Amino acid sequence: MALADFLITLLTFVAIYGLFGVGLNVKYGFTGLVDFGHVAYFMIGAYVTVVLTMPASVQGYGGIGGFDLPALFGALFPGGALVGWFVGIAGGMVAAALVSLLVGVPTLRLREDYLAITALGIATILTAVFENEEWLFNGPFGVRSVYQPLAGVFPVSLGSFTLNMVVLGGLSVVTFLAGGFLVVRYARDAGGRTRALVGAAAAVFVLWYFVQPLLGGGMVELQTNVMWLFDPTAGPEGGLDYDRFFLLFATALLGAGYWWVERTVNSPYGRVLRAVRDDEDVPKALGKDTYRYKIQAMMVGSGLGGAAGALYAIQLGFISPEQFASTLTFFAFTAVIIGGTANNAGVILGTAVFWLINSGTRFLNDFVPSEFSVQLAAARLMLIGALLIVILYYRPEGLLGEQEYDVGVADGDAPPDRTTGGVAGGGTDD
Amino acid sequence: MVSTGLLDALTTGLVTGSIIAAGALGLSLIYSIAEVPNFAHGDMITIGAYLALVFNKPAAIPFLPDSVPLVGTTSLAVAGVLAVGLGATFSAGYELTVFRRFRRKDADLITMVIVSLGLALILRNAVLFLAGSKNVSYATEPVRDVFWDAYLSGFGLTIQLTQRRAGEIVTLAQWGYAWWLAAAILAAAVGVGYAVYRERSAGEGFDVVHLVDPRVLGVGAGLATLLALAALLRFQSGVVADPLASTRVGTSWKDGTVVVVTGLAMLALNVLLKTTKLGKAMRATADNLDLAEVRGVDVDRVQLVVWVVAGLLAAVAGVLAGWSASNVNPNMGFSLLLPVFAAVIMGGIRSPYGSALAGLVIGLSMDLGVYFLPPSLAVYREAIAFVILIAVLLVRPEGLWGDV
Repeated sequence: MALADFLITLLTFVAIYGLFGVGLNVKYGFTGLVDFGHVAYFMIGAYVTVVLTMPASVQGYGGIGGFDLPALFGALFPGGALVGWFVGIAGGMVAAALVSLLVGVPTLRLREDYLAITALGIATILTAVFENEEWLFNGPFGVRSVYQPLAGVFPVSLGSFTLNMVVLGGLSVVTFLAGGFLVVRYARDAGGRTRALVGAAAAVFVLWYFVQPLLGGGMVELQTNVMWLFDPTAGPEGGLDYDRFFLLFATALLGAGYWWVERTVNSPYGRVLRAVRDDEDVPKALGKDTYRYKIQAMMVGSGLGGAAGALYAIQLGFISPEQFASTLTFFAFTAVIIGGTANNAGVILGTAVFWLINSGTRFLNDFVPSEFSVQLAAARLMLIGALLIVILYYRPEGLLGEQEYDVGVADGDAPPDRTTGGVAGGGTDD
Repeated sequence: MVSTGLLDALTTGLVTGSIIAAGALGLSLIYSIAEVPNFAHGDMITIGAYLALVFNKPAAIPFLPDSVPLVGTTSLAVAGVLAVGLGATFSAGYELTVFRRFRRKDADLITMVIVSLGLALILRNAVLFLAGSKNVSYATEPVRDVFWDAYLSGFGLTIQLTQRRAGEIVTLAQWGYAWWLAAAILAAAVGVGYAVYRERSAGEGFDVVHLVDPRVLGVGAGLATLLALAALLRFQSGVVADPLASTRVGTSWKDGTVVVVTGLAMLALNVLLKTTKLGKAMRATADNLDLAEVRGVDVDRVQLVVWVVAGLLAAVAGVLAGWSASNVNPNMGFSLLLPVFAAVIMGGIRSPYGSALAGLVIGLSMDLGVYFLPPSLAVYREAIAFVILIAVLLVRPEGLWGDV
């Protein structure tokens, strides 16, 4: 397996769990709600989307459903299948948000530690319900028929082999250049130690991804690595296969979620959320109904978690209740804390670091006898637990720290803010 | 033919409740004095169970080096004591290496929650790493259930002690209590219980704190009287045929030991908290850490003791749970975590006594729920604990007993 394939799997994971983490960040990072039951909304989003897009009668499925939205919309107008899938994912998000509303109404008035334990309990009970009630979503047997949007179109070929290679390969090179540019710009603005850290990480990546195949004499592998979007074995002329397309698709959805959350937190609304987190009495004294804000943040975060669940179902092609254990919630918390609580870019970075540790150490499986695979998995999780504690101790703000916000507190007496060039009312409140 | 009924469910619930109570005692100490909502407590319970396995059945843990001294097959009682000691030592380690540092940094409650979560990940996976994910059980003598079959008939109450041997039900003993005798024993027990309660609660004021709460002592004295009279005044006669009502209760000396060990642990903790200077310091720290420190309490030492005692109690709960279910696995503690938390919150986090009592209530309601609910809902046994917790939080967030 080429490194490019590993990178694609890893990045798809990062996109899916990044979206999951961004959802958690709305609750935990920006509003201060310790939702230890976040995985429940991931599960609900996955199940509802799969059932909404699944054909009506599927062998071996005895639960609710099969509403086959893609076929329904596909019959109406061209391209309707994709629209049908989007309606399905919207259904999953709405279902997740509604369940979180039901959960939130009684629990969000509780103290933060009580909220944590009740949320964990509710998620555990929901998983048990999905596991035991076969009439609901087929119980322990899960759902094997997952609709993959646009699956019939791939592999896409633009024409001849050379054209494919030039266009897709060129696009791949552009992504590397753009990524490199972003990293360099970040490192330039950052302080000395961060710069050294980023430089070291970049050097390791280059050595591992570009130089290591060269040393092995694998020119073909190097070519696959560089032109990661182009798969020469996909179809007669090569082209873009479904895995690569799905990575782009998941990244696009992550981008949409990121944009939505950024818009939310960079608004007066987001300022209230942060005020609820920092000291709930202050927004209350200013006449804000903080309980409503908390419920809304809970619903938004859960909806995003549901969207991530829908993507997860496509990537795996099979869902069953035991995949949605509470460890996923704890992984998301770890990712959020590594990257930087209340920092959306940080959450995605944290997810990348987390999955790099979690999947990147999988190559060790080749060197360790297979009977020790349980030990290896356990050692990995111990490492993650230790990392969580160490980060909380030495760098509680995470790798990136809390992000800066566009929206400031309107304050007539304050001197003009430097960063915004003295626009009235501008400024950052953190 | 007799069948099991409500009384049997109550007995099972008492055993479940005792295990939950043992876990809840330790958690409530950490929660109230160290101010850590300790999500690692479930895994501390697992660690305790596995530590006993190290001494009791080393072969079950593949990664154990063969040449470690002291490691060998010992009886569960010895292994349990060693495990409890080691569990307490480990727990001191968590305080010294992790929680003390975070307390020095004035970490808030949520940070503590997440730190304990990280510790939970480490502990659970350390168990997975060293012992694998198999279900194992302690090497003990097999324990046979004894059935107490009670028959109510025109004669009175008849109790038959039976046991299943090689598929056959064998009657071990039969005692009869005529109506008047049963009524007299019950009346005497209630009388003694009430008298003890009146006697003890008479001089109670805010300046007099009893070692054992008069209510608990009253109930205990009543029960003791009941059992003693029933044992003394048993007659061989009795009527089993055509009973008005009959029920069967299955117990074993294993169940009895679980309840008694938890009871002793509660009593020991009670003595520590109420009669020693250290206990006074612990209660003062729970009340107000800064004030206690100003008054010369060595807060670090108190916290260390809290973690040691909590680790000890967690190990007790782990060994009892593993023995009682004849099953030790890496997830056993985590599945106990929710009921234990439910008990602590229900009892009011500041009150170890409340938590223990709430642990019993939750264990009882889990098994009574399984008894009363239709069989298709029996899989939601743990959910029952949870529904109770949410109900309590909505109605009385300070716990049922408040600050006791």
